[in-house]
Amino acid sequence: MLQQLAQLTINGLITGTILGLTGVGLTLVFGIQRLANFAYGEYLTTAAYIAFIANVVFGLDLVSSALLAMAGGALLALLLHFLVLKPLRGRGLVAMSLITVGLGMMLRNVIFLVAGPQIRSLDIDQTRVFDLGLIRISPGQALAIGIAIVVAPAVALFLSRTTIGKSMRAVADNRDLAAVTGIDVERIGTYVWLLAGALAGIGGVMLAIVQGTFNPNLGTQILFLIFTTIVLGGIGNAYGALIGGVVLGLVMELSTWEGFAGGLEPRFKSVLAFVVLILLLLYRPQGLFGKERVL
Amino acid sequence: MDIFNPVFWIFVATTGGIYTIMALGLYVQFSLAGLPNFGHVAFMAVAAYAMAILVARYGLPLPVGILGGLVAAVILAILVGVPALRLRADYLAIATVAGGEIVRYLAMNLQGLTGGPIGSIGLLGPGKIATFNGSWQVFMGDIAFYLKPIFGKYGRPDTAMAIVVWVFAFAAILVLWRMERSPWGRVMQGIREDDTAVAAIGKNVVGFKMQALIIGALLGAVSGMLLALQIGVFSPDDYQPTITFYAYLIIILGGMNRIWSVPVGAILFTLLYTGTRFLNVYPLTLFDSGERAYLRLFLVGLLLVLFLAFRPQGIFGDRRQILEK
Amino acid sequence: MLLKVDGITKAFGGVKAVQGASFDVKEGSITALIGPNGAGKTTAFNLVSGFMRPDEGTIQFDGRRTERLSGHTVARHGLVRVFQTARVFTQMTVLENLLIAARHQPGEKFGAAWLMPGRTSRREREIRREAEERLALVRLTHLTHERAGALSGGQRKLLELARALMVQPKMILLDEPMAGVAPVLGEQLMEHIKELREKAGITVLIIEHDIDLVMSISDRVIVMDEGRVIADGPPDAIQANERVITAYLGRNAGAAA
Repeated sequence: MLQQLAQLTINGLITGTILGLTGVGLTLVFGIQRLANFAYGEYLTTAAYIAFIANVVFGLDLVSSALLAMAGGALLALLLHFLVLKPLRGRGLVAMSLITVGLGMMLRNVIFLVAGPQIRSLDIDQTRVFDLGLIRISPGQALAIGIAIVVAPAVALFLSRTTIGKSMRAVADNRDLAAVTGIDVERIGTYVWLLAGALAGIGGVMLAIVQGTFNPNLGTQILFLIFTTIVLGGIGNAYGALIGGVVLGLVMELSTWEGFAGGLEPRFKSVLAFVVLILLLLYRPQGLFGKERVL
Repeated sequence: MDIFNPVFWIFVATTGGIYTIMALGLYVQFSLAGLPNFGHVAFMAVAAYAMAILVARYGLPLPVGILGGLVAAVILAILVGVPALRLRADYLAIATVAGGEIVRYLAMNLQGLTGGPIGSIGLLGPGKIATFNGSWQVFMGDIAFYLKPIFGKYGRPDTAMAIVVWVFAFAAILVLWRMERSPWGRVMQGIREDDTAVAAIGKNVVGFKMQALIIGALLGAVSGMLLALQIGVFSPDDYQPTITFYAYLIIILGGMNRIWSVPVGAILFTLLYTGTRFLNVYPLTLFDSGERAYLRLFLVGLLLVLFLAFRPQGIFGDRRQILEK
Repeated sequence: MLLKVDGITKAFGGVKAVQGASFDVKEGSITALIGPNGAGKTTAFNLVSGFMRPDEGTIQFDGRRTERLSGHTVARHGLVRVFQTARVFTQMTVLENLLIAARHQPGEKFGAAWLMPGRTSRREREIRREAEERLALVRLTHLTHERAGALSGGQRKLLELARALMVQPKMILLDEPMAGVAPVLGEQLMEHIKELREKAGITVLIIEHDIDLVMSISDRVIVMDEGRVIADGPPDAIQANERVITAYLGRNAGAAA
C-alpha cells in the first residue's frame, strides 16, 4: 500500500507538472489577452504530432524532437495571434471564446484528416521498467520527470526574476495598472503567446510520452483539466497555475489510493477534477490564492 | 443517396426540426439571457439517458421515461446553475463545459447504469439487447396510417416523426416569441445588457437567469430525447461536446436576435451536416465516410470563425449586444 | 434613523477598503458622504446597497438587518442605488428603461404573457402612465422613444435617477451624480434631488466631490478617510473640523490653489 502511495505520488507529480506548465500558458493568455482559449488543447496536439514527425518519421532523438515541438507550438500560437485573434480583438469575451472554439475544431479535424485517427506513439521503449525499490517507473515517465525537473523551475525563475516574466505577471494581474506603469502591454502580449505556445509544446510532448500513445484528441481530452487548474490557481495568476496544477495532479492520482477507503476507481479521476472545479466556483471562484475582485 | 430522393429530405426535415429545438434552448439561455452555456449537449444526453434507462431497464411506459428525462435535465441545470450563475460569463462557460464533461464521463464509465461506451443497447447488461423506443415507433406508425391518404407511399413513420418534431418546434417558437415581448422578456433583455443594473432596480437576477437556464435545459432535453428516439440506439458518442457548438452555429447563422431565424439556421446547418454525410457529389467523393466526419467538423469550426469574424449579425438581422460584451 | 451602519469592514486580499465605519442617516435628510479618493466611499455604498457583503459589522435599514441580503432584495426594501457611471440599458428606449424598473408587474413571471394577459396589460398601462410622469419630471419627455444609448452623459444620469424612482424607494444612494454632467443639467439634477426630499420625502445619501455643492445641499455631512468615518455633523461644523481640514479639505484646497 505504501508502494502504491509512492507510485501514485510520482504519477501525480508528473500529471501535475503537465497541468501546471500548460496552465501557466493558458492563465497568462486569459489574463493578458482576455480570452478563454478553447483551442489551447490543439496546441498540445499539434506539438505532439510535430514531435512524432521529427522523432518517428525523421528519426531524430527525443530531446531535439521535443525542442522542435516547442518551437512549433510557439509558432502556431503566434500565427493564430497575428492572423486571427489580434485582428478580431474587441469582439467581447464570449465571441472571442467561440472563435477559439471554432479554431480548435478546425485544427483538430485537420490533424485528423492529415494524420488519421490511428493511435501513434513516440519512439520510446515501452517495455522496460526502472525498478527503484519502492517505485517502478517507465522510461517515458523518467523522461517526463527529467523534463519537469528542468522546465518547471526554469519557468518559475523566468516569471520571478526576469523583467519580461515580471511584466507578464503584472499585466495578467491588472492590465490597466501595468500600462500606466509604462509596460508595453502589446509587446508583452506577443511574448505571452510565445511562452504559452512553447509551454503547450512541452506539455503536449510530455503528455504523449507519459500516456504512451495518443491520437488527435490528445489535447482536447486534457483541456478541461487545464481550465480546472487555472481556476484553482486563480485566473491570471501564473504561480497559482503552477501550484494548482501540481495540487490537482496529486489529488486526482492520490484519490485512487487504496488507503482512502479503498480508493476511487481510476476512471473516475477526471470526474473528481470537474467536481473540484464546480465546488471551487461555488465557494472560491477567485481560486485558492486569488484575492476577491471588485466587480 | 442523391438530393432527389424524398427520404433524404424527410431525414433533413426531422434532423433540422430536432436541431431547431436544441438551438431554441440555447437561444433562451444565450440570446435572451446572455448566458454562454458551453455544455448544452449535457442536457440532451442526461435526458436521453434518463428516458432510455427508465423505459429499457425499469420497463416504465415511454411518457414516464420522457418525464424522467425532463426532470433529469432540470436537476442538472440547477446543479450547474447554482454555483455558476453568480459568476462572470467566462466562468459560466467553463462551468458548463465541466458539467457537460461530467455527464459524458459518467455515461461512459457507469457501465452498470448506462451501458458504458456501447450505449443504450447495453442497458440490460452484456448479452442482452435493450430497446426503449418500441412504443414510440408504434405511435409514429399510427400517425403514419392517417398520413397515407395525403402523402401516399411517403406516409411513413419517419414522415410522421418529422411532422411531430416540427409541430413541437413551432409551438415552442410561438410561446417564446410572445414571452420575449412580454415584461418577462424585457427583464431578460436588461439582464443581457447589464445584470448589475437590473439587480439595482430590485429584480432577482439569479432567479431570472435560472429560469432561462432551466427553460433552455428543457428544450435541450426534448431535442436530446427526440434524437435518441430517431436513431433508436445511442451511445455517449452521439452526445459529443461539439454538438453544443452546432447549436451556436445555428443561432449565429440565422442571426442572434430573431427567434424566427433559428429554424432557418437549423435547416441550413442540417443541409451542411447531412449533405456532407450522404451526398455523393464532387468534391465530397474525395473523402471516405470516416474522413467526412472530420471535414464536417472542420467546416463547422470554419463557419463559426468566419461568421463571428465577419458577420456576427448572422445572415439576416442586425447584431445584438451580447457578442460585444 | 432610516439607515444605521455599525462597524462595517471590508477587505480585498488584505487591503482594508473599509475598516469599522459607522454612521447613521436620518429619515428625510440629504446626507453627504465625502472623503479623499480611496477613502472607501464607493465600497461603503456597495456594502450598504447589498452589492457586497461586509466582513464584519451590521447594517440596519428601515428597521431591518440588511447586511446579509443581496442587492436586489435591499432595493426591494426601498434602498436603491444610482451608479457613478450611469448604467442605463442602451439598447432599450428611454421609456423601456423606466418600464423595466417598475415593481409588481405580474407579467415578469414566466408564462404570464400567456396565462394572465389581462392582469399583465392592465398593470403595464399603469406603469406606463407612471413612467411618463417621471419622464416629465426630469424633462426627458421629448426623448421618450429614443434609444437610451443615444443620450448624453447628463441625460443618462437623469434617466437613471428617474428609473431608480420607479422602484419607489424610501432612500436613494447617489454616487457622484455630478461627475461628467454639463453644468446646466447638473443644476437641474440638484433641483430634482431637493424636490425628491421635499415632495416625496425620499431620503438621499450622496457621494460628491464638489464641496461647495455638498455644503449647500446637505443637512449633514459624513467624512471618511482610510476606510473610517473621521467626522460626522452639520455642514458648518464639518467645515470647521480640524481633522477634516487636514485629511481632506486642506489637501483639496492645496490642490486647487
